Amino acid sequence: MPLRSYTSAPLRLQRPFYPDDSGSCQSAIVHTAGGMVGGDGLDIQVRFGERSQALVTTTAAHKVYRSSGAVAQQRIDLRLEAGAYGEWLPQETILFSGGRFHQSLRVELGPAAVWTGWEITRFGRSARGERFTAGEWQSATEVWQAGRPLWIDRQRLVGGSAVLDSAHGLAGYPVVGAIAILGHDFDPAQLDSLRALAGGADIGVTSLMKGLLCRYRGTSSQQARQWFTQVWQALRPQLGQSAACPPRVWGPSSKSS
Amino acid sequence: MMTIDTDAAALLQLLQLVSPALPVGAFSYSEGLETLTQSDLLQTPAALEDWLLQELRYGAIRLEAAVVGRVHRAFLEDDLAQLAEWNHWLSAVREGAEIRQQSWQMGRSLVRLLNALYPELQPALTACEQPCNFAVAFGLAAAHCRIPVELSLLGYLQSWATNLITAAVKLVPLGQTEGQVTLLRLQDEFAIAADTILSLSDDRLFTSGWGAALASMQHETLYSRLFRS
Repeated sequence: MPLRSYTSAPLRLQRPFYPDDSGSCQSAIVHTAGGMVGGDGLDIQVRFGERSQALVTTTAAHKVYRSSGAVAQQRIDLRLEAGAYGEWLPQETILFSGGRFHQSLRVELGPAAVWTGWEITRFGRSARGERFTAGEWQSATEVWQAGRPLWIDRQRLVGGSAVLDSAHGLAGYPVVGAIAILGHDFDPAQLDSLRALAGGADIGVTSLMKGLLCRYRGTSSQQARQWFTQVWQALRPQLGQSAACPPRVWGPSSKSS
Repeated sequence: MMTIDTDAAALLQLLQLVSPALPVGAFSYSEGLETLTQSDLLQTPAALEDWLLQELRYGAIRLEAAVVGRVHRAFLEDDLAQLAEWNHWLSAVREGAEIRQQSWQMGRSLVRLLNALYPELQPALTACEQPCNFAVAFGLAAAHCRIPVELSLLGYLQSWATNLITAAVKLVPLGQTEGQVTLLRLQDEFAIAADTILSLSDDRLFTSGWGAALASMQHETLYSRLFRS
């Protein structure tokens, strides 16, 4: 359970939840403002103690509204101590057209620590036909262990650019997502079973240095999350953990099957 | 006269480094182009040109070229610690297993070659640590041969495109001449890309190539394959 927590508005940490008797803890971060505007900054730091097991998620989609110029920034720092197993599984980010958002996620793995994380981003409120014709998004993810980077992912999208429609970029799709697991070596043969779970969506699965990565590009954040949840559930037992139990805050729609 | 001699030597060494005859096995990689042809996304010279253009403007090749530039500078400043840092950085950035293997295999071959061509480079090559990425070994060799950094990037990008166009000639209904026309049409883009990349600070190194990343990841499961990436 969280030994110490400190939050200030607009962030709040819900009471931890223990889905089973394995000692694994689920915590949800509430963003009481509901979304970010230009100039906002959010800082989140989580330390996973030695041999602890915890899942951190968010209670709602993260919205970034249209900006008149200033950038909204989010910095997340996760530190996993020796033997810890940490999960960072937030709900999707919805970037309104005209929104400007820079996010960074840095994960530091101690010896034998394992991290699972995902991120799903929707460019424009596509459900109502909005495209990301203006604005800017930047995302820098880095996972380090013993002073070396295991995975560095640096993505950027400029609203209205050719990337929106080119096959090389988004090919007209509004949603991208990725789930990565670092700190564990997988049998390459196992990647096929993860691909099969995606059911024909535009996806890719590959090995990382000491880990694996699944990417999604498509129309539905629901579809992305469903696949990621299945991947998470398929792999969790092999990471030495109990069966994956989707947090209640994801709602009934998050159940995979 | 001295300057001319130096320039001629640098030019000749650049030509040698970027030649398709360089024994690093570049010809066996398509960097996802093979996936695209099989999903009918790459059927015309125009589609090929557009793909290479998007890669030059938004793709991961920019991160490789950025590392060529940084390694070049680090070598001239005798900053050996930086060499290893950028080599590790590039390994972590090249996320597809096949692309990473490509970069490491070509790097290994180039390191072996450089040890034979320029034995004095050995301490710097060792400082990069293993596995050494191709772009890192290339940047070192270019700096050692006194090839200016702008030209090094131009050469790197042009030889990268030449290799992919050669792959496309085997994959797409595309003639040798059309391939050469495509290469020529990209000239301005090489110059713009090299210029822009050299001006980017570390915190501005990004890609937007989701389709390219997926094409390279999906290549791992293609049913029949001519290429290794």
